[in-house]
Amino acid sequence: MLIVRDVDVSYQGAVAALRGVSLSVPAGGIVALVGNNGAGKSSLLRAVSRNLRRHRGEITGGAVTFDGEPLRDPGDCVRRGLIQVPEGRRIFGRLTVEENLRLAAHGAGKKLVPDRVYDLFPVLAERRRQPGLLLSGGEQQMLALGRALVAGPRLLMLDEPSLGLAPQVVARIVTVLREINADGVALLLVEQNAALALSLAQHAYVLELGRVSLEGPAEKLRDDPDVRRLYLGATAVAT
Amino acid sequence: MYRRILLGLGVVLLLVLPYYVGQFWLRLGFSVAAAGIGAIGLTILTGTAGQLSLAHAFFLGVGAVTYCALAGTDADLVSLGWPPLVAALAGVLLAGLAGLAFSPVAARLRHIYLGIASIGLVVIGQHVLNTAAPLTGGFNGRLTPGIVSDAKVSIGGVPFGAYEKQWYVGFAFLALAALLARNLVRGRVGRAFVLLRDSEPAASSVGIAVQRYKALAFVVSSMYAGLAGVLYAVAIGSVAPSSFALDVSVLYLVMVVIGGLGSVAGAVAGAAAVTALPVLLQEYAGYLPFLAEPGSGGVTASHAARFVFGVAVIAVVLTRSGALHRFRPSALGSRS
Amino acid sequence: MITFLSLLLTGLSTGAIYALVALGIVLLFKAAEVVNFAHGSLLLLGAYVTARTWEAVGFPTAVALGVLVGALAAVIVERLLANPMRDAAPVALAIMTIGVDIVIATELNRRMGPDIVVVGHPWGGTAARLGDVAVPANRLIALLVAGALIVAFLVAFKLTDWGVAMRAAAEDRETAALLGVRLSRVTTLSWILAGALAVVAGIFLAGSPTPGLSPAVGVIALRALPAAILGGLDSTTGALVGGLVVGVAESLAAGYQDQLSFLGRGFGDVVPYVVMIAVLLVRPAGLFGTREVGRV
Repeated sequence: MLIVRDVDVSYQGAVAALRGVSLSVPAGGIVALVGNNGAGKSSLLRAVSRNLRRHRGEITGGAVTFDGEPLRDPGDCVRRGLIQVPEGRRIFGRLTVEENLRLAAHGAGKKLVPDRVYDLFPVLAERRRQPGLLLSGGEQQMLALGRALVAGPRLLMLDEPSLGLAPQVVARIVTVLREINADGVALLLVEQNAALALSLAQHAYVLELGRVSLEGPAEKLRDDPDVRRLYLGATAVAT
Repeated sequence: MYRRILLGLGVVLLLVLPYYVGQFWLRLGFSVAAAGIGAIGLTILTGTAGQLSLAHAFFLGVGAVTYCALAGTDADLVSLGWPPLVAALAGVLLAGLAGLAFSPVAARLRHIYLGIASIGLVVIGQHVLNTAAPLTGGFNGRLTPGIVSDAKVSIGGVPFGAYEKQWYVGFAFLALAALLARNLVRGRVGRAFVLLRDSEPAASSVGIAVQRYKALAFVVSSMYAGLAGVLYAVAIGSVAPSSFALDVSVLYLVMVVIGGLGSVAGAVAGAAAVTALPVLLQEYAGYLPFLAEPGSGGVTASHAARFVFGVAVIAVVLTRSGALHRFRPSALGSRS
Repeated sequence: MITFLSLLLTGLSTGAIYALVALGIVLLFKAAEVVNFAHGSLLLLGAYVTARTWEAVGFPTAVALGVLVGALAAVIVERLLANPMRDAAPVALAIMTIGVDIVIATELNRRMGPDIVVVGHPWGGTAARLGDVAVPANRLIALLVAGALIVAFLVAFKLTDWGVAMRAAAEDRETAALLGVRLSRVTTLSWILAGALAVVAGIFLAGSPTPGLSPAVGVIALRALPAAILGGLDSTTGALVGGLVVGVAESLAAGYQDQLSFLGRGFGDVVPYVVMIAVLLVRPAGLFGTREVGRV
C-alpha cells in the first residue's frame, strides 16, 4: 500500500537526514518504525506526507508511492486516506473539540460524522464544546486520533502516540488502535517506546542515523539481542 | 587595495566637482547628501537592528525646525540667530532626544507593531508642527537660514558662491556620517544589533540588554534623521509641516530597501536614486516623450518616478525575500 | 447632552466603518501574517470605480462593480506577490505591500488630480433625525450596513467550514495543512473578503459629511491601522473594539475641540494615533492580541 524506496532526505541542501531508506506498509497491516531521537523518524514521516518544504528540506533521491501513485502534497495524502497523527498531538487549542473534528473532516473533503469517535472516547462527547487547550494530555491524544478517524483513514501514521501519557491512557489508546486495525485500517507506528511498538506490529524497522539498520517480523526483532539491549532496556520485556 | 584606490578617486572627483559642474548638479548633489545621511540612519535601524520604522519623517522635522528656529533671523517667528553649524548640531541632538523620548514605546514593540506605531509618531508630529506656529510658521512654513554665508570667495580663479560651499558642507557631513555608521555597524554595538534582529531571546541569553540596545538603535537613527532634516531644510530653502509627512518616511524606506537593507553604501546609493530620479526626469522631460506636463492628467515626471519606486521595492523584496528571512526571529523556529 | 449623543452616534458610525477596514487587516494578518499597508489604496481603488461608474450604470451596480474590483485587486496582489513570498518574514511582506501602495496610490492620484469625485449615494447629504439628534443619513446607513456585515462575518467566522479553517490556520498552519486544509484557498478567500469589506467602507467614507472621494479618504482609511493594532492584530474582536474606540474618540475630540483648543486645531485627526500609542505602552500586543503573535 505505502512503499518508500531508497529515499534520501536532506535539509537546506546540506544535512543528510535519511540515506537510502526503504520501507513498506501492506494494506491492513501494522508496521512499527523504531529509533532514537534524531534517527530520522520525523524526516521519514515528512517525506511521506510531502511536508518537507516547510522545514526547508527535500527528497533528494528515491520515491514514495501510495497505491502505486506518488503523493503530491499533504492535502492529497489526506484525501487518499493517508492520515497522520502528528507528534505532540498538535490540537488546536482555540478551537473546540468538535471544531477540531470538523476541521479534519473538512480537510479530507468529508462531512463530519463524529458518532464513532464519541463512542470510542465518550469523554470527548462530554467536552465537545470546550476549547482544545482545556483537555488533558490523554484527552488531547484521543482527540488527535479522533481527528484522524473522521478523515476516513486507510493508513494511519502515528508519530509517538504514547509520548508523555499515563500507562492507563496508553493502554486505552492501544486498545483503540487494535480496534481501528481490525476494521481494516493499516497502521504505521513511529515510536521511541519500542516495547509498545513491537508488541503491536507484525513487521518492524529500526532506524539509526538516517538508515534502516534492521528489519524483520516484529517477534523476531523482539528477540534480537541488539534490539533488546538498545531499545528494550535490560528489564523491559514486551507484553 | 583596489577598493581604496577607487574610493580615493571618488573622493577627489567629488572634491573637484564644483570646478566643473553648474548649480543644478551641485544643488542636486547636496540634496543627495542630505537624503544619504538620513538613509544611513534608517538602514542602521531597519537593516542592522531589524526594527521597521516609518517615523523617520518626524525626526527629520525635529532637526529641521530646531535648526530654523535657532539659526533663524525671522522677526515674526522664534529666531535666535545662532551660528548655523551650532544650530545644526542642536538639531541633531534634539532629534536624538525626541528619539529617546519615543524609545520606551520603540523598545517594547517589535517589527510590525513598531512599524505601525511609528506612523502615529509622524501623524502626531504633523499636528504638533502645525500647532506650534511661532516655531514652525504653521501651515505656511518658514524660510531656512543658509548653512554657509552667501559671500562669494574666489579659489583658483573660480568664484565660489553659496551652492559651491554648501556642496562641501554636505559632502563632509555625508562622509563623516558614513564613516561613523560603518564603524558602528562593524563594532560591538553593531554585532549586538544584528543579534537582537535575528533573535531577541538569543540576544538576551548572551547578556545583551535588549531594550537598551533597541532604544539605542532608535536614538542613533533619529540623530541621523535630525542631521538629514537640517540639510534637507537647507536644500529646499523653506520648510512647512507638510514637508515631513508620512510620504517622506515611505521614500526613506524605499531608499534603504532598494539599497539593500543594512548596507551603508547601499543606503547612500538608494538615497541618490530616490532623490535624483524625479529631478532628472523633470529636467529632461523634453527628451522623454512619454512624460506629460503636470496638471495635464498624464504621467508626469513625479508620477513616473513613483511608479519606478513602487515597482523597485516590490521587485527587490520579491527577489531578495530569502535575504529578508533574517527578520524572522529564529527562536520561533521555521514558519509553521 | 444632545451634542454628546450626536457626537457619540457619529463616532460609532465612523468607528463601524473603521472596524470594517480593520477587520480586513486583521483577517489578512491571521491568514497570511501580512500587514497590508496597501489596504487604504485598495479601498480607494474600489470606491473610485464606484464613483466613476454610478452615473452610467446606477448606484447599486456601481457599488457591486467597485466591490468586485477591490476584491479582484486584492486577489491579484495575493496570487502575484504575497503567495510567492509566503515563507518570507512578515516585515518583508509588509514592505512589499508598501510598494504596492505606492503604485496604486500614484495611479489613483494621477487620475483624480486635485478634484473631488462625487460618489452618487442615493441618500445624498440628507440628515436623519433620531429624536433631537441629527446625523447625516449616510452615517446612519453606514452604521446599519457595517453592523450587518460585521455580524454576518462573525457568524461565518464562527460557524462555516471556512471560518474554522481560517482560525485553525491562524493558530498552526502546519497542522492545518497536514489535516488537508487547503491553506492557499483559505488565504485567497481572506484577501477577497478583506478587499470587499474595505471598498464598502470606502464608499461610505466618501459620503456625507465628507464632500466626496479624494486621496484624503485613503488617509482617513489609514486610521483603521491604529484601530486594528490597538485591538490586537490577531483578534477579530480587537478589530471591532479598536474601530469603535478610535471612531468615538476621534468624534468626541473633534466635537469638543473648542474646549480642547490647547491641544491645537484638528486634534481629532490625531486622536486615533494617540490612543494607539497609549494602549501599546500598556499592552504591547494590543487589547485583545495574544502574546505569541505580539512577538512576531
